[in-house]
Amino acid sequence: MNNTPWSQANQALKESHYELLCLTATADDTITATWLNPADGSQQSLNVPVIDQHFPSLTPTLLEVAWDEREIHDLFGYLPEGHPDLRPLVRTPRWPERFFPLKNASVDPPPWRALEPDNPAVTVQGEGVTIMKVGPSHAGIIESGHFIFSLIGENVLHLDAHLFQNHRGVEAQLEGLTVSEVAPLISRLCAADTVSHQTNWALAVESLSDFEASQTLEWRRIVLLESERILSHLNDLAQIPAGVGFQVAHQRALAIKEYWQRGLLLIYGHRFLFDTVKPGWAHPGSAEDMIALLDAMAPKWKAWRALVEGHHGFQDRMEGVGIVQPIDAVHFGAQGVAARAAGKAFDARTVLPWYRSFDLQPSISLAGDVKARFSVRLNELDESFRLVEQACTLLRQKGNLLAGNDLTQGASGRVITFTESPHGLNVHDVVLNAGHVTRYHVRAGTYRNWPLLAKTVAGNTVADFPLINKSFELCYSCNDR
Amino acid sequence: MTKTQRSLQIRHVDGGSCNGCEQELAALTGPDYDMQQFGLDIVASPRHADALLATGPVTDTMATAVERVWDAVAAPKLRIAFGDCAAGCGVFQHAYASHGGLDDPDLVIPGCPPDPKAVIQVLRQWLKANALPS
Ligand code: SF4
Repeated sequence: MNNTPWSQANQALKESHYELLCLTATADDTITATWLNPADGSQQSLNVPVIDQHFPSLTPTLLEVAWDEREIHDLFGYLPEGHPDLRPLVRTPRWPERFFPLKNASVDPPPWRALEPDNPAVTVQGEGVTIMKVGPSHAGIIESGHFIFSLIGENVLHLDAHLFQNHRGVEAQLEGLTVSEVAPLISRLCAADTVSHQTNWALAVESLSDFEASQTLEWRRIVLLESERILSHLNDLAQIPAGVGFQVAHQRALAIKEYWQRGLLLIYGHRFLFDTVKPGWAHPGSAEDMIALLDAMAPKWKAWRALVEGHHGFQDRMEGVGIVQPIDAVHFGAQGVAARAAGKAFDARTVLPWYRSFDLQPSISLAGDVKARFSVRLNELDESFRLVEQACTLLRQKGNLLAGNDLTQGASGRVITFTESPHGLNVHDVVLNAGHVTRYHVRAGTYRNWPLLAKTVAGNTVADFPLINKSFELCYSCNDR
Repeated sequence: MTKTQRSLQIRHVDGGSCNGCEQELAALTGPDYDMQQFGLDIVASPRHADALLATGPVTDTMATAVERVWDAVAAPKLRIAFGDCAAGCGVFQHAYASHGGLDDPDLVIPGCPPDPKAVIQVLRQWLKANALPS
């Protein structure tokens, strides 16, 4: 099974350090793997046909697609032959047996079965092992996920993370929509990565319409994308001290985040930047107001950074906890901060041509622990402040080019677009037919990091889980869709 | 329970939100809005709660959990739909695995996501005007 031409071809690209953008199934019985060459930004797509509902699994040789193939199995009914773990991922026992929402034409709510939604969990058996179940509803204000821990004493032996509690069926809902109907849904896929999702959709339509973005439009998008990174990183940085009871740092970070959001509300009309990027368009904002906001933020941010970096107890608490091995970051296809804090240097911004003149300095660490993820985020936040300022300065000097109009016309074709969201490489695989969506697949930044988080937690104490979890700070919404 | 009720302890459940509603709830408990000063708080257990607050369009997978949490809250109690998704007017309510919002809410707080200042206003007004439904 491991030696099919399909698996060899994919394997070869992985070994040449290509980055897997997405593994997508389409209802015409085809599986497509699309890879990115990080050296020049070119893409390479490979296909395999689905024959009699079967296709050869890549998972035995390409660990990172284990979830993708389970998802395809659940939503299309295509069976990845040779997959070592075909437990349901998205579907639950409540789903009718022959209901495959992305394969069957009808996407009406099916007659759900009167069963519990829980899928079988992998647990450790043996003397002294206890099973601790957490979720899907939680004691704090967090998204829904179900975590099944196997513990021995305080130590985590295994974590089985059952996500997709928030699965709404967005990809199926998008099918059939027109270009102008898509934008509000994509904008609300995930509040933490909304600008990144909106930009991916805009890039898709623009590419299929042969629209050429002006520099003004590109700079506006950089301001928005980096403003979102500042917002999300502030939120995520605030959570890490909360995980160890360092309340002063937690509350102060929330206050800084609030200050930033009030600025965004004034400049862009929304506290999370919903509906600020569309095909052919980006919210103009005001470069002057943004620069003023940056100036007002700087002392608050510097004081907070000094507080957390100067607190030895806090720094010690993070060190050596939740270590991601660099080899795992590669095998799991890790993305974003979790990957860069474990030595995997990939940042999608370095291959996007419109970022090229900004001389981005990716922040890397080799340690792979909570402390490394924390400090990579600190550095990235400072870098985003710099990028926003640089783009705003350009906009002030020569940003009066026409920034384009809303594109709503009937494009056709398939395109794969990506940006670096605050949570990592975010990919959209879009198929349009005369301006209508016929397939829309979203591979969010967190998707490959969830299985890596589960692996990382094993070997740590259960009390470290909140800390490790918050240092990854993976969102659920665009993962579950 | 009478109309002089001064506080409302809330148990939150995410029914498939985009996390925008969660982030605003977190802001409400932060230093700028500090909802606790008005007797409003998010609590860890439904046993300590007077109200269930759901966000999101209520996915099929979370529908059972939402109702179980509701059952665990002692009466008199309140059902709050927080945000357009839970209120049944969000963008994902027609997705196949979405139940289209929280069933039978006593109180709807609209917005995508609701503005934190408005949330405090709505909850305080509600407390002034109403007793918890038994
Ligand atoms: S109402 Fe808006 S912010 Fe709240 S969960 Fe729905 S889409 Fe997100």
